[in-house]
Amino acid sequence: MRRADIYVALGLMLVGLLAIGDAIRLGFGWGMSGPEAGFFPFYMGLGVVICTFFILLRAIRIYRKEGSGKPLVKPGGLPQIFRVLLPAVGMILLTELIGLHLATILYLAFYMGVIGKTPWLKTVAISILVPLAVFILFDKIFLIPLPEGIWGKGLIPSF
Amino acid sequence: MDIFANLMTGLSVAVQPYNLMIAVVGMILGVIVGVLPGLGGANGCAILIPITFMMTPTSAIILLACIYWGALYGGGICSILFNIPGEPWAVAVTFDGYPMAKAGRPGKALCLSFLSHGVGAIVGVFILTFFAPLIAEFALKFGPPETAAVMILTFSAMTRLGGKSALKSLVAIFLGFILAGVGMDIVSGKLRMTFGSIPLMGGFHFIVAVIGLFGLGEIFLTVEEGLKMEGYKATLSLKDIKESLRELYIHKRILMLGSLIGCWLGIQPGGATPGSFMAYGFAKSSAKDRADYGKGASSGIIAPEAAAHGAGTSATLPMITLGIPGSPTMAVIMGGLMIMGLTPGPMLFKENVEFVWGLIGSIWVANFLGLFICLLFAPLFAAILRIRFAILLPVIIYICAIGAFAVNNRMIDIYYMLIFGVVGLFFKKLDYPIAPMVLALVLGSMAESAVRQALIMGRGNPLIFFRPPIALPLMLLALFLFFLPTFTKWMKRLKAKKAPV
Repeated sequence: MRRADIYVALGLMLVGLLAIGDAIRLGFGWGMSGPEAGFFPFYMGLGVVICTFFILLRAIRIYRKEGSGKPLVKPGGLPQIFRVLLPAVGMILLTELIGLHLATILYLAFYMGVIGKTPWLKTVAISILVPLAVFILFDKIFLIPLPEGIWGKGLIPSF
Repeated sequence: MDIFANLMTGLSVAVQPYNLMIAVVGMILGVIVGVLPGLGGANGCAILIPITFMMTPTSAIILLACIYWGALYGGGICSILFNIPGEPWAVAVTFDGYPMAKAGRPGKALCLSFLSHGVGAIVGVFILTFFAPLIAEFALKFGPPETAAVMILTFSAMTRLGGKSALKSLVAIFLGFILAGVGMDIVSGKLRMTFGSIPLMGGFHFIVAVIGLFGLGEIFLTVEEGLKMEGYKATLSLKDIKESLRELYIHKRILMLGSLIGCWLGIQPGGATPGSFMAYGFAKSSAKDRADYGKGASSGIIAPEAAAHGAGTSATLPMITLGIPGSPTMAVIMGGLMIMGLTPGPMLFKENVEFVWGLIGSIWVANFLGLFICLLFAPLFAAILRIRFAILLPVIIYICAIGAFAVNNRMIDIYYMLIFGVVGLFFKKLDYPIAPMVLALVLGSMAESAVRQALIMGRGNPLIFFRPPIALPLMLLALFLFFLPTFTKWMKRLKAKKAPV
C-alpha cells in the first residue's frame, strides 16, 4: 500500500512535469493579450509537482519507519479485478471490428456463461435481449449512432 | 409576491404531462441507479446526458435532476437491507439502518429513511426557492475577479472536507484543471498538452472521466472486496409508516439539525456524502440515547438521510445562481446544461425564467412523487438486488461504455473510460478524493477564463482577486476555511502541552 502510494505520487508528479514542460513551450508569462496559453497549466502543473513532492516525502518517511504496510489489493483481489477488466477490454477491441451491438452479445454471453456460470438459457436470453433493447432505443428511437466497427455495418441488417 | 408568482409558473411547468412523465421516469431510473452499487447519481446522469440532447432544456434538466433525487432516495435501500452502501452518501446510514433491519424491522428502517429524505428535500427546496433569487440578484454584480474568488472558495471548502489529506485533495484539483486544459486553448487557439497526438486534441470530456472514475472504479473496488449480496426482505406495512412518523416527531430536533447541516454542505459545496457523515456525527454527540447508536437507533437513520437529501437539493442553489455546482452529481448536471448551451449563473434567472423556475417547481413536485414511489415500490426496487451480480456487472459495464461513447461519438473515449476506471481504483485505495477532481474538470475552462480575464483587468497584478467589496471577503473566507483544520490541530496540540499530565 505504501509502496503504491510512492509510485502513484511519482506518476502524478510526472504528469505535473509534463504540464509544466508543455506550458514552457507555449509560454507562461505575459503576452500580447494578457496571460499566455501556458499560464494556467503552468501553475497547475507546479501545484501538482509541489504537492506530490510533499506526499512523497511523507510516504517515504513512513515507509522507512514502518515498512510497506497492508498490501494495496487484498489477497485474491487482483484476479477478481482482471476477470472484470480483461473481458471488458476484449469487448472494446471486438467493437472496433464488429461494432458494439454484436460485441456486446458475445461479451455478455461470455461473462455470464463462462465467468458467472449462469444457466445457459438465461445467458442467451439476456445477452440477446439487452443489446437488442439498446439497439432499438439508441439507433432507432433516439437516433444516436453507436460504434459500428469495421464490419459492423454489413453484419446488422438494416430495417 | 414575485417569488410566489414565479413559483406558480414553475409548478405549472413541472406538472405538464410530458414533464411529469419525465420526472417519474427519472425518479424510477434514479432509484434503480441508486440501489445498484457501482452505478451512482453522478455517472447515472453522465450516461443519460446524450439522450437529453433530444429534449428541451427544461425537460432535460428535470430528467437529470430527478435521477439525482431518485438516487438519493435509493441509496439507502441497499445500505439498510444489505449493509452495502449503494451510494457513497448512504454509507452513514449503514451504521444504524442495517442493525435495525437485522433486529427484524427492515420496513421501519426503510420508512424512516424515505421520510427523512422527504423532509430533507423539503427543507432544501424551501431554502432554494427563497434564497436563490436573492443570491442571483447579488451575483449579477460579479466580475471575473469575483467569479474566480467564488471558485477558489469552493475548492478551498472542498479540500478540507472529509478529513482526507489536504495535499492529496489539492493534487486532485490541480490534475482536474490540467485534464480540462488538454486540447485547444479557448483564448489563443493554441493546442495544449497534446504532444502531437490527434486523439488528445479533442481533450478529455468530463462525462467520460465521471463514468470511469465513479462507475468503473467503484465496480473494481466492489469485485475486489468480493461482494456478497445477502440481505433482508423489504416489507412495508402501514404500521411501519405510522411508527416512523411518530419517531420523526419525537426526533424532530435531530431531523431539522440533519436537514440544515445537509443544506449547508450542499450550498457551501461539499455534497451529500460529507453532509450525511457530519449529520450522523452531530446527532450521535448530541443524542441522549447515545448507547443505542450503532445498534439501530432511529435518530441514527434520520440524521444522515435528511442531511443527504438536504445537501442534494440545496446543491442546486449555487449551481443555478453562481454556476458553481454544490456536489459532484450537480457538477455533471451543470456540465450537461453547458453542452446544451445554457451557462448556469445569475443571468439564467433573468433570461430563462421558465427554465429556472421550472426546475425549482419540479424539485418540489418530484420529491413528493419520489417519496410515494419509494414507499409503494420499495420491495420491487430491493428485488433488483437479488439479481445475480454476474448478470448485473457486464450489463453495467456495457451501459457505461455506451454513455462514454455517446458523448462525442468517439471510440477513444471508451478506452479513456477504462483508463479512468483503473485510475479511480488507485485513487480510492490511496485516499485521493475524486469529487474535487471532477469539479475541477467541469469548471476548468470557466475557472481559467475567469482567472485570465481578472488578471488582464488588474494588468497582471494578482491583488485584483482581493479587490473589495465582494472579492475580498470571499477570498478571506476561502483562506479561513482552508487553514481552519490546521489551526484547530495546533490549538489542540497547544492545549495538550499546557495541560498538566
